[in-house]
Amino acid sequence: MAVYRRGYRRYQGRLTGEWERLMVLPRFAWEGLLQQRLIAILFVLALFWPVGCALFIYLSHHLDLLQGFGGAAGNFFQVNGEFFFVFMNVQSFAAIILSAFAGPSLIAPDLANGALPLYFSRPLTRTTYVLSRMLVLVGVLSPVTWIPGLVLFAMQSGMAGWGWFAENYRFGLAVVGGFFLWILLVSLLAMACSAYVRWRVVAGALVLGLFFILGGAAELANAVLRVDWASALNPARSMEQVWRAMLGLRPLPGPDAWQCAVCLGVMVAVLAVVLSRKLRPVEVVS
Amino acid sequence: MTPVIELNNLRVKLGRREILKGVTCRLGAAGSGKAIGLLGPNGAGKSTLILTLLGFHRPSGGEARVLGFDCHKQPRQVKARVGYMPENEALIAGMSAVRMLRIMGELSGLPPRVALEKAHEVLFHVGLGEARYRPLGTYSLGMKQMAKLAQAIIHGPELVILDEPTNGLDPAARARMLKLVAEMKSEHGMNVVLCSHLLRDVEEVCDEVVILKDGAIAHHANLEEERRANRRFVELEVAGDDGKLAAALSEHGAEGVNEGGGRWRIVLPPGVGLDVLWRIAAREGLDVRRLTHRRDSLEEIFLKAVGHMPRTAGETLPEEVASNGRL
Repeated sequence: MAVYRRGYRRYQGRLTGEWERLMVLPRFAWEGLLQQRLIAILFVLALFWPVGCALFIYLSHHLDLLQGFGGAAGNFFQVNGEFFFVFMNVQSFAAIILSAFAGPSLIAPDLANGALPLYFSRPLTRTTYVLSRMLVLVGVLSPVTWIPGLVLFAMQSGMAGWGWFAENYRFGLAVVGGFFLWILLVSLLAMACSAYVRWRVVAGALVLGLFFILGGAAELANAVLRVDWASALNPARSMEQVWRAMLGLRPLPGPDAWQCAVCLGVMVAVLAVVLSRKLRPVEVVS
Repeated sequence: MTPVIELNNLRVKLGRREILKGVTCRLGAAGSGKAIGLLGPNGAGKSTLILTLLGFHRPSGGEARVLGFDCHKQPRQVKARVGYMPENEALIAGMSAVRMLRIMGELSGLPPRVALEKAHEVLFHVGLGEARYRPLGTYSLGMKQMAKLAQAIIHGPELVILDEPTNGLDPAARARMLKLVAEMKSEHGMNVVLCSHLLRDVEEVCDEVVILKDGAIAHHANLEEERRANRRFVELEVAGDDGKLAAALSEHGAEGVNEGGGRWRIVLPPGVGLDVLWRIAAREGLDVRRLTHRRDSLEEIFLKAVGHMPRTAGETLPEEVASNGRL
């Protein structure tokens, strides 16, 4: 029967499980994001570097194609920890750009339109809501971060053989683990900014700005106070230090990986507090 | 039978202010398809009570149960059975009504296909069928109210909490909204909690009413019983010789007091209708000048409860009623 003739009837059938409901918001959000041309363009641009890296790995195993460069080519085309570190650095920047554009559209409209009571009057907790929204960004950022990283690692392992894999498996773990930490930080930052500012454009600018501002502030503090510990306040720099430790590379000058990890942990905690304070179904003015 | 709402010495503090001050009551019966009206002046604690029932506020003391589930300890069970229509704007402006309702339906546990079907079905039901693909931001106030109602009932909840559903509606839209609420009770067996400033809305739709004042219950009335009880009071004015009227009334078990000048105050016993008075008047050759079925309107009940109208002698004071635990 046509729906307009049917009339309203109460639904009394089977209800979906909690995990299925957790994916409701991400499903609708991905659908919306993929319809945005800018996001699609950024997404494609973010895959250029992994493609270049794949070419690099291929060439490193086919040096005969580069005979014209002489012996220097052999030294240049080396797939090692530094290679994965550079890859992660470039892709982390792409992740920031993508989350600055995709992140604020997740929470800001809900807050700006006062829609939270509608969500929270359903069997959805604040934690589930944040988790759902974070899954959106995990879904968007994964294809430009750890997935291509893992593909590159697999490609190199396949070309270099079992011996290389056994010796360097930590690169694979570092790529996945390091990028997950980065996605956690960037997602929380994007959501906290949009929860705080509520205006999508400003929230996006704030996400980008915070990375530069914190980086600048850290350098300024280092210069003025003549210290080097302030580098830990720069999330990108701290994450680099952690990644270098995960990849087994020589650390950068300044606070060590553990100190940087603690700093990042504090940042994550602060962002979680901001979110929990802002994401309330009703605001209480006492 | 499980009450729809059960409050046991419920206290809620927002900041340092205590908004609900030990409210105790049992309202409605689960599955009965009745409506409970929540009335009170501004700042009485109506919204706080609703938000506490939804688990948005944490009680500072006592407990609140909805359909037998503790609102604070079992919020998931409560929310799975409740539909909520907030007073304020809550619809995402850039989204179409169908999309918004699909999301809300799926979040309530409807499978995706069912949610899509129900979104269309419920939007036609509330009269937004033709506008269902339009962005919600382009809706008029009345349409937004209907869309908010639609999202509250898409999953077929046992209890629907409506916060000021007729706010900003024109008379036609208001009538339609009240008709939908009445249908929700009578045809779909949903329990309804209606919070409104408009006494006529509550009077029209609700079977039970609770009046809050200063965070406590000032009055709790069963409107059905009140209506029945009030039907017995009649004011009659006649022309002619009314000397035998008192005796004629007593034949039917009615009592009448002559106030002079042909004016009578009559109390009809249960089961005796106004037609009896017309027959007596015809038999006694009296011309009926005025016949008023006097009843305590909800407005009078409300004004008495909040202290703006003197009480009739012998009536129970709200404090007495609240403290004896009947409410």
